[in-house]
Amino acid sequence: MATRQGRDHELSDEEMRRLLKESKGIKGESLWNDAWRRLRKNRASFWSLVFLALFGLTSFLVPLLPLPSPKALTLQIEPAPPDWPWGPERTYEDESYEPGARPSVEKGSFANNGWRHRATLEFTAPAASAEAIVALVEALTNRSAAYEAREVSGEYSHFLTVPLHRDDVPRVDYSPTGVEGTLTAWRVEAEEGDEVHYDLKVATELGTVTRWSVEQRTRRGKLYVSAEKDGATRSYQYEYTLGRNIAGKPRMLTLNGTLLPIDDDSVPRSRRKHDLQTVETRERISEPHTDLEARVRTALGTSDLGAATLAGVQIENGYWDLGALDEGLVHLRGRLFGSWQTGNWLGTDPKGQDLMARILWGSRTSILVALAATLCSLVIGVLYGAFSGLKGGRIDNLMMRVVDILYSVPFIFVVIFLITVVNEYRTELEDVYGIDREVIFFVVIGAIYWLTMARVVRGQVLSLKNSEFIEAARVIGASTSRILLSHIVPNVLSIVIVYLTLTIPAIMLFEAFLSFLGLGIEPPKVSWGTLAVESIEAVNRVHVYWWLVLFPALAMGSTLLALNVLGDGLRDALDPRLRGKD
Amino acid sequence: MPLLDVQDLFVRFDTHGGSVRAVDGVSFTLEEGETLGLVGESGSGKSVTNLAMIGLIPSPPGTVQAKTIQFDGRELFGLDDVEMRHVRGNLISMIFQDPMTSLNPLLSIGRQLTEVLELHKKMTRKEARGVCAEGLADVGIPNPERRLKQFPHELSGGMRQRVMIAMALLCKPKLLLADEPTTALDVTIQAQILELMGALQHKHGTAILLVTHDLGVVAGMADRVNVMYGGRLVETATTDDLFGTPRHPYTSGLLASVPTLAGDAEAELFSIPGAPPDLAALPPGCAFEPRCAHADTRCAERVPPLEPLAENAGRAVACLRAEELTSPAGGAS
Amino acid sequence: MLRFLLRRLLWFAITLLVVMSVSFTLMHSVKGGPFDNERTLHPSIEANIKARYNLDWPIWRQFLDYVGPLNLNEKRATFLGGDGSDVWGGVMTGDFGPSYRYRDFTVNDIIGQSLPISALLGVVAMMWALSLGVSAGIASALRRGGKLDLALRLAATGGIALPNFVIASFLIILFVFWIPLLPVAGWGTLQHMLLPGFCLGLVFAAYIARLTRTGMLEVLSQDYIRTAYAKGLAPRTVILRHALKGGILPVVSYLGPATAGILTGSLVIERIFFIPGTGSHFVNSATNRDYTLAMGVTILYTVLVYGLNTVVDLAYTLLDPRIDLENE
Repeated sequence: MATRQGRDHELSDEEMRRLLKESKGIKGESLWNDAWRRLRKNRASFWSLVFLALFGLTSFLVPLLPLPSPKALTLQIEPAPPDWPWGPERTYEDESYEPGARPSVEKGSFANNGWRHRATLEFTAPAASAEAIVALVEALTNRSAAYEAREVSGEYSHFLTVPLHRDDVPRVDYSPTGVEGTLTAWRVEAEEGDEVHYDLKVATELGTVTRWSVEQRTRRGKLYVSAEKDGATRSYQYEYTLGRNIAGKPRMLTLNGTLLPIDDDSVPRSRRKHDLQTVETRERISEPHTDLEARVRTALGTSDLGAATLAGVQIENGYWDLGALDEGLVHLRGRLFGSWQTGNWLGTDPKGQDLMARILWGSRTSILVALAATLCSLVIGVLYGAFSGLKGGRIDNLMMRVVDILYSVPFIFVVIFLITVVNEYRTELEDVYGIDREVIFFVVIGAIYWLTMARVVRGQVLSLKNSEFIEAARVIGASTSRILLSHIVPNVLSIVIVYLTLTIPAIMLFEAFLSFLGLGIEPPKVSWGTLAVESIEAVNRVHVYWWLVLFPALAMGSTLLALNVLGDGLRDALDPRLRGKD
Repeated sequence: MPLLDVQDLFVRFDTHGGSVRAVDGVSFTLEEGETLGLVGESGSGKSVTNLAMIGLIPSPPGTVQAKTIQFDGRELFGLDDVEMRHVRGNLISMIFQDPMTSLNPLLSIGRQLTEVLELHKKMTRKEARGVCAEGLADVGIPNPERRLKQFPHELSGGMRQRVMIAMALLCKPKLLLADEPTTALDVTIQAQILELMGALQHKHGTAILLVTHDLGVVAGMADRVNVMYGGRLVETATTDDLFGTPRHPYTSGLLASVPTLAGDAEAELFSIPGAPPDLAALPPGCAFEPRCAHADTRCAERVPPLEPLAENAGRAVACLRAEELTSPAGGAS
Repeated sequence: MLRFLLRRLLWFAITLLVVMSVSFTLMHSVKGGPFDNERTLHPSIEANIKARYNLDWPIWRQFLDYVGPLNLNEKRATFLGGDGSDVWGGVMTGDFGPSYRYRDFTVNDIIGQSLPISALLGVVAMMWALSLGVSAGIASALRRGGKLDLALRLAATGGIALPNFVIASFLIILFVFWIPLLPVAGWGTLQHMLLPGFCLGLVFAAYIARLTRTGMLEVLSQDYIRTAYAKGLAPRTVILRHALKGGILPVVSYLGPATAGILTGSLVIERIFFIPGTGSHFVNSATNRDYTLAMGVTILYTVLVYGLNTVVDLAYTLLDPRIDLENE
């Protein structure tokens, strides 16, 4: 026995080399491999991950999918039940063109047909010419039209809505023409009972204003002017932004104001409020924005509908302002699917908007906001926590005290307060800095959700700093960067990932909560919160529009549930100390 | 008739890793007032034996089988839960290893003591308090009235074990199951507690089943000793016989691995080679065979029965070669 | 104990001061002030309004007047029904000032009317949460691994994942429209409170169930439970007397955050069920630019949450004799 021991102590060179070679072959299982293996073994978590990946991808690619428009306005007044793709073709009994009746043609998903644009034509004509007008427009556009009529003191206004496809999109030429001018607007107060209405008056010396519009929220507007140039009457389109004094609280304004020449004195100066604000016009000129209007006018002229006149054409976009990426995806969609789109497979909401499209667009918004806000909280929390933990001592003490103070504030109230205040500066922020509401929104949310992250990271850094294996690494001569990269970062990262998956659903809930209260995402944009408001408002004793409640809840619930399950699974996989503790 | 007669006790745990036979056919008896030591390494099944007797094996995953567990002329095995509860804490009491965790930290000492008397002796809480104070005084706790109002965390480890002993003896049980009562304590406190137990046993005539891995404790306390290995009894003898002439190779190994003051301080302490057996996969033969220096081919074939020795009817050994290896030195090479 | 309370009070004062100064600064940094944009006013009227709400003062004076404790505003009481001779005033004396939107009402009036309603709703919700959560948690722990456990845990995960307004809409459909047992909205009777309270409390019931389950499992694996069984105690006694107290300790420490959560949740629930509580006033004030009301509610809820947290900490020491607040 003694001889053997003696031999063990004196390794020959050859044996030494062999041992070294063998030891190099030994590889420990990395934390991540181990975690991945554990996660895969946890079936619920694994399938949650798969579901989230698929749902996330779908949500991201929503602009590419052949869905109906998520914001289309229709003449419909009642939510339509789900129209399953495997269900029977829908037929409508009432196909007459009675004024005020249902839309004339409702084949397939009439209301949202035209995912990109639609045109609403308004005719002034006797009631009897309804059918003829519809026939005319339908023949002209080769599309079925929705129809509605309103009677005002014996005069009928006929509204027809036709979908416009990609090929119908008005081509706007933005090349400058050198035509410049000022736009003048003022408000006129009129009292009716207790309510105060304001009329917005617009005048310009550019030419005859044919139509103008202003979007209440952004105070941006469009102005269509016909003016003489080079001997021909051409249409010009201007964009402008109203100052703060003009557009006040949206509900106070009636925005179909009268068009007046600039020197008109029919409204006494004394009744003009916030008099004569000069508005900068950003010059944009276009070719006649679409030939639909001209074609209809021509057709009217040659038809025997002598008494009918075209009062106006309004073109609606199927989306809200999309970013460059989304615009690109929408264009790609047009190339891939043409004008084909799904039906209202999950039904429509009370405004006739396609529920499936809204759920998917809403999920997209909610997920993006949650991810961005989480990222925001992550950056703040990790930096704060790591700094505090690494510094230690008094600074650490003070920094953690600050966190404690913030913890004891009921944050939601402060946030709501903050959001209302920030809202006051919204236009300025959007115009001057290009920061839109969603950005403000997730920065604010992220700025309050970093507390837990900071605490967790700080605790982890602190315990790692004093842990024996770091000491051991230092003793065997590992460099600082190696210690940081191979010991501290992976250990902190694992716990950060765990808390990340738990923060995302919390932020999603918070976003939904704020949007529900009308303080988050605003119509026409859609998120889970706005979907929930719409569903809860639509439900009543007579009609239980179950699809409005069920489908958004399913999307929201399954995503949040999957995130929670995944978070638990990740915690078990990455933090063995917490295993088995629910 | 013995106070306690256990025949063919089996305890099995069904886990995900397979079925574990923690206790595998253990039989022994215990006379009134006697102290029986139950010795073995961790995981040899000694604590499980203890728990099995008063029906505290959690089921599932555990299952208990026995031919008989006779206590004071009454069959314990197969008693229903209500009858078993009458035995527990009343006729048979138990002291556990760790006094730090064995007392409820959220209830006062008094509350934890009186509930035993309220339950078994149908006393009111007031009467019980008096008895409990006496009980605490008996185990050498000064100022017992004040202690009753205190909470476990206000007491030292030794004090808590005294409280545990007082609690166990409140109903004057005939049998005390002591599961490593001194393992978690400092050496000086250990001696005090053992002395106390001896004194109380003398006073009340309680029989003690002392489970421990500490041979020193057994030597000081027990009248007889059972040695367990791999869920089976391998040797049973009076304390003197066992320490004088260990007959099972495992017992010899155990004794040899106790450090002695007289020994050479430089010499390496003997340890039995190998590791304790995996109870989920016991070898077909003697459980100690893989670690035994004296094993031969027969040992690996079948489980040796616990057979009384020819020379001494009071002791039994479960070793096929026990008769051959008569010399005590033979086992402890 | 006294030192603990004093320290709490000190931190509380700091917290409150931070909340007040931040929100006050924000509120006064808004361009145009709260009365802009509604109705264009004659300059003299505008000046009148500003004078009435003291908006013409320098901001530090407004802040001092708002915080208190001295009343710097000799005019205040005249339009709010006082005689103008008050020495004390401001938040420190419990006076949140006039509402900017509800003319002739003070913030105190509005809170005074609505807080009892919200408090009642909160208590009902908390009762639902505790009774459902604790019993489900115990049942789950005792039947660990069984079908009941699985079902309860699934329900708890669902309860945590789904926002309360979604649950509310399902329950309204179920119990108001399909099985008309409960009234749809309003306030006054017990039936009015059941459904909103339940919807509000459900999320917290789910959390409490989880905490109770974990706590009970932890306690049930302790040595002293085995000791209790070895004494011959019946399982029911062991669970109720020895396990439950330790098992629900995590729930007790969760009550603080749960209170804050219930206050938050009440914003949504009050809106869904048309309950005239403080929460709905707060949401209205936020959209109405009624800054004094919004600030008043924020401060009030900060005080409430802080106070209740302190009460919870005190309760914890009663339950767990090991906790020593002095050395916290």
